[in-house]
Amino acid sequence: MEGKKLNGNESVVRLENLKKSFEINGEDVQIINGINLDIKKNEFIVLFGAGQCGKTTLLKMIAGLEDITDGNIYINDKKSSGFNEDVGMVYQTTALFPWLSVMGNVEFGPKHRGAAKSERRKKAQYYIDLVGLSGFEKHFPVQLSGGMQQRVGIARAYANDPEIILMDEPFGHLDAQTRYLMEEDVEKIWAREKRTVIFVTNNIEEALYLADRIIILTECPATVMKEYVIDLPRPRSMVSEEFLRLREEISRLADARESEAG
Amino acid sequence: MKFKLSGKSIQAVVLGTLGILSFFIIWQLTCIFTKFGTIFPTPPEVAAGMIRGFIEPIGSVTLLGHIGISLGRVLVGYTLSSVLGTLVGLLMGASRLGKAILYPIFNIIKPIPGIAWIPIAIMWLGIGNATIYFIIFVGGFSQMVMNVMSGASNVDQELVGVARVLGLKKNHVFLTIILPSCVPYIFTGLQVSLSTSWMAVLAAEMITATSGCGWLILAGMQSGIMLNNVLGMIAIGFIGLVLATLMRMLERRLCSWKERN
Repeated sequence: MEGKKLNGNESVVRLENLKKSFEINGEDVQIINGINLDIKKNEFIVLFGAGQCGKTTLLKMIAGLEDITDGNIYINDKKSSGFNEDVGMVYQTTALFPWLSVMGNVEFGPKHRGAAKSERRKKAQYYIDLVGLSGFEKHFPVQLSGGMQQRVGIARAYANDPEIILMDEPFGHLDAQTRYLMEEDVEKIWAREKRTVIFVTNNIEEALYLADRIIILTECPATVMKEYVIDLPRPRSMVSEEFLRLREEISRLADARESEAG
Repeated sequence: MKFKLSGKSIQAVVLGTLGILSFFIIWQLTCIFTKFGTIFPTPPEVAAGMIRGFIEPIGSVTLLGHIGISLGRVLVGYTLSSVLGTLVGLLMGASRLGKAILYPIFNIIKPIPGIAWIPIAIMWLGIGNATIYFIIFVGGFSQMVMNVMSGASNVDQELVGVARVLGLKKNHVFLTIILPSCVPYIFTGLQVSLSTSWMAVLAAEMITATSGCGWLILAGMQSGIMLNNVLGMIAIGFIGLVLATLMRMLERRLCSWKERN
């Protein structure tokens, strides 16, 4: 299915008939089957899918962590292959460097891209403050709660100044209360800092709360099933009539998709 | 300064002291009431001998001299095995080619204990310090290699990807990600190989030296002066304890990121 074509000049990420297959026991297993997608500058895109199939792989391909089997990824109209300094990522497992302090983690990107110490400290401090971790600069990841660790991950991605930030189910391991707080904060940070965000989740409320546009993916192999443009005013109420209606509709769609796959 | 003693820790101290005291009492009683006492010194005699040992030389140097000599030998051999063992371990853990070449031969040499090398070492290096360094080196080296290798081959590959996405250059991955990931494993290796080295120096000194704690033990036995034997044993136990404690303190400092406070 074709992704909806948006204003081409503004496109920051463009996926063109993107395919991915892995060789498993000598057999090619297709994970992603021809995804087309145009993502505008500063858009908050949510990839929504319940299955285990394709979403993380898709983000990893955009980040340069996985090879492309077929098709193309364009970032700022340039064909992308491998790592790209315009792309940052927040991981499901937080994936912090355990031997580095909060400050060490957040300044990692700027440091290895050659920023001077005072400059990168200032920038890292700004994002540490922004995610609400002031005072924890010298703590090691192991000393922080799961939610705080994920805040470090978000600060680390932003501090590297990428135009595009990929978030791979970043709150999947958090309890409901923490998760809700994190969603609020991610939205606040995004509203303030802007950036193009591609966010993967299998939680409908999370998708509806955050997204400008929800891309619903099919079960394996993943393709675009349907997309919703969400233009509810922000910050959104999770109990507004329109929110609940969309939730109901997407939920029914997801159920249908699962029974089809099952 | 605050110093709090809970009921439990007072109990532990009391019971521990009780255990040590009864050990000395049994020792003393055994010396008085059995034939054992005719050749073996009592605790007070050992204490007196120790004080004398610090002042008058036993053999060529004083007790402190013997301790210093043994420690010096360990330091040389241990440093060699730590540095080379870390390098070889990293090479085998981080490079597939390195492992393919080195692992089989390493596996053949690994089970041979350090002491088994003594005759060859004497043939190659003669009687003296070079042989002792070599024996200590052999003892610690394989421990070091094993630990560092498992550290380097268990590096979280996701973290390598994370670092690359953040802009780390490929040829900086080793120093920035692999090496720090290995630090806890290096410390485990350092700890295990320290006790191996300390044992190796004693074995080597018993055979090919005229000084040091190992020589003290053997010379004490051969000359029938059991006091010197016991002094050597006490020195060994004490130094071993001090070394292990120092190493644990250093580890706690450098690997604090592993522990939850």
